Amino acid sequence: MMIEKKLSLDYEQYENGEKIVDLIEQLAGGEESAKLESLIIGDWGGAYENDSSEIVEALVRLNGKFPQLRKLFIGDMSYEECEVSWINQSNVAPLLIAYPELTSLTIKGSTELALEPAIHEKLEELIIICGGLGKQVLASISSGRFPKLKKLELYLGVEEYGFDGGLEDVLPLIEQEKFPQLTYLGLKDSEIQDEIAIALAEAPILDQLETLDLSMGTLTDKGAEALLNSSKARGLKFLDLHYHYMSDEMIAKWKQSGLNVDISDQQKYDDDEDYRYPSLTE
Amino acid sequence: MIVIGNPGNRRTAGIQSARAKLGLPPAYEVRYLDLLQRKTSLTESVHRLGLKTEEPLLLRLDAPGEHFDVERELIALGAPDVEPDKFGSLHRSADFPEAAVVQPLSRRMALALQEHKGKLYHPSQWFRGYCRLLAELDGEAKQLWQRPGWMNAPMDIAAMFDKRQTHKVLTSAGVPVPKLLSPPDAIPDYETLQSIMKQRRMNRIFAKLAFGSGACGVIAYQTNPTTGAEVAVTTIGVDNFIAKPPIYYNVKKLVRYTDSRMIRQIVNWLLRHGAHIEQWIPKASYDGQSFDIRQLVVAGQSCHSAARVSRTPITNLHLRSERKSLNEVGLTASEEKEIRSCAERALEAFPESTIAGIDIALSAGSRRPFVLDVNPYGDLLYHIRHEGYDPYEWEMKQLAGP
Repeated sequence: MMIEKKLSLDYEQYENGEKIVDLIEQLAGGEESAKLESLIIGDWGGAYENDSSEIVEALVRLNGKFPQLRKLFIGDMSYEECEVSWINQSNVAPLLIAYPELTSLTIKGSTELALEPAIHEKLEELIIICGGLGKQVLASISSGRFPKLKKLELYLGVEEYGFDGGLEDVLPLIEQEKFPQLTYLGLKDSEIQDEIAIALAEAPILDQLETLDLSMGTLTDKGAEALLNSSKARGLKFLDLHYHYMSDEMIAKWKQSGLNVDISDQQKYDDDEDYRYPSLTE
Repeated sequence: MIVIGNPGNRRTAGIQSARAKLGLPPAYEVRYLDLLQRKTSLTESVHRLGLKTEEPLLLRLDAPGEHFDVERELIALGAPDVEPDKFGSLHRSADFPEAAVVQPLSRRMALALQEHKGKLYHPSQWFRGYCRLLAELDGEAKQLWQRPGWMNAPMDIAAMFDKRQTHKVLTSAGVPVPKLLSPPDAIPDYETLQSIMKQRRMNRIFAKLAFGSGACGVIAYQTNPTTGAEVAVTTIGVDNFIAKPPIYYNVKKLVRYTDSRMIRQIVNWLLRHGAHIEQWIPKASYDGQSFDIRQLVVAGQSCHSAARVSRTPITNLHLRSERKSLNEVGLTASEEKEIRSCAERALEAFPESTIAGIDIALSAGSRRPFVLDVNPYGDLLYHIRHEGYDPYEWEMKQLAGP
């Protein structure tokens, strides 16, 4: 078990004028900080109007106090605390520079999020959970440098909540050799899930992957067919397609495929209204 | 014992089988529909059954819901043109609210209502009708018995059924509840709601139909002070027509509105019928899902409980919420104890009542309990036992024993 700590302000603390930065400083000043391996920053209070820049600054300034920190999560809050699409982030790249030993970074919320420059020699996990990821962030990651990255999990989301790109912005991420150590690729929660599935089905990157995660999006039989017919997909250890819009027939095909695939949480859409939504669009 | 309810439903059946199991004689059943259609009255029923009013008798009012004919009669009884003399005994009492009704239906129009599954027919007039019936039963019982043996007195039921009143009662009893946005009368419409939210810097609220039960008529509403965006999550659906007034109804799946025009329409409908508006305190969550607790209190003691977990802000939605034990959502023994005592204090605030299902949530972070709702008919909990008894058996054991 990692030595982990979560800092967050609840509603009353925020109302009483308490500041998350004070909590970070308190933690840094305590004995715990020297041993801390995982830090989770939850609700920092009014995340719909206050961005994460103060947190980034504080953690950068105090990096010497957290020598063992390997895992960092900025924005771990539920819909009870803030709509994910309303969480204001900032450029979190300075954290990558300040914590060269970090192995895992998770970000929730994409409003005003930037990751520039996206360079880290040791990072193994990069996860961005949001309702819509901007193409600027996608470009930063695909033009960045993460030689040790094993897991890349990106919620792409919908246009309404910040996904202002298209397939062309996603494709650079799946060029082979870009992330030589990558074994888990999640390009999920997308409103163009079919296009992504089709693009990935015969992509060379599949040869190095163990897990492909295309879950929580608007995957239909169209994208699924491409995956099912892909010889490369057969080499995967796990294919995560849960939350999807596939037909019963397609589900039956997957069951017979012999692949280790999660096809749970089938969504139904109204025939008269052709609305299909990814899972996390709130 | 007399049960006033919709006999044949799960509730009445539950009481009867509990009594049979405990070796108690079956309860006499008085149908809401017969009372409302003036086929009988409480007094007439008692005389017809040959019950002696010198002896103590348990009186149980059960939920009037899930029965369209009863609902229609209650809306008719709430009509502005109902004359006390037409109904002989229609009893008005200052103790009972006489809800203001917007766009009231005449008695004749109310009786002509057709059943549409899920439709919200006329909540405020329904409540006025129900309060009139409760007042009548209260008055009759007082004439029949020196001390009527109500499990929950009609007056308390009326108070518990009005979330504005419940909030008031709990607040003055010192029971923790979410902050009120403002007194209900101060918010006539959507525009005022928005400006008060801004003024009070309370940008996340629950607006609840004052007389709804469960998730019915609840809106989780929030505005983003930075972008002006707004989101309303609710079970209220609306169909707009060109040539006739809109129809409001309950939808099975939560709807998420971000379009201001739709939000305005639904909020205004809610406000017109009467709404209770309180701060949305972030609820504690477990495994990524928030939860609240239904804690049953019988005769002053907390007994059966269930945690309802949900991926939506409206945890008490029956259809989509998953039920777990308190243990399964990671509550500590001291948190469970706090919840039990919080629920007991909530019921204590209604001194004429012996049963209620109290909905309690813990705040995210500090994990302090606060009361979301008090349900006079909140004892329909399946497959949950306390000391080996189901809720109805437990109630009978506590209240009907020798």
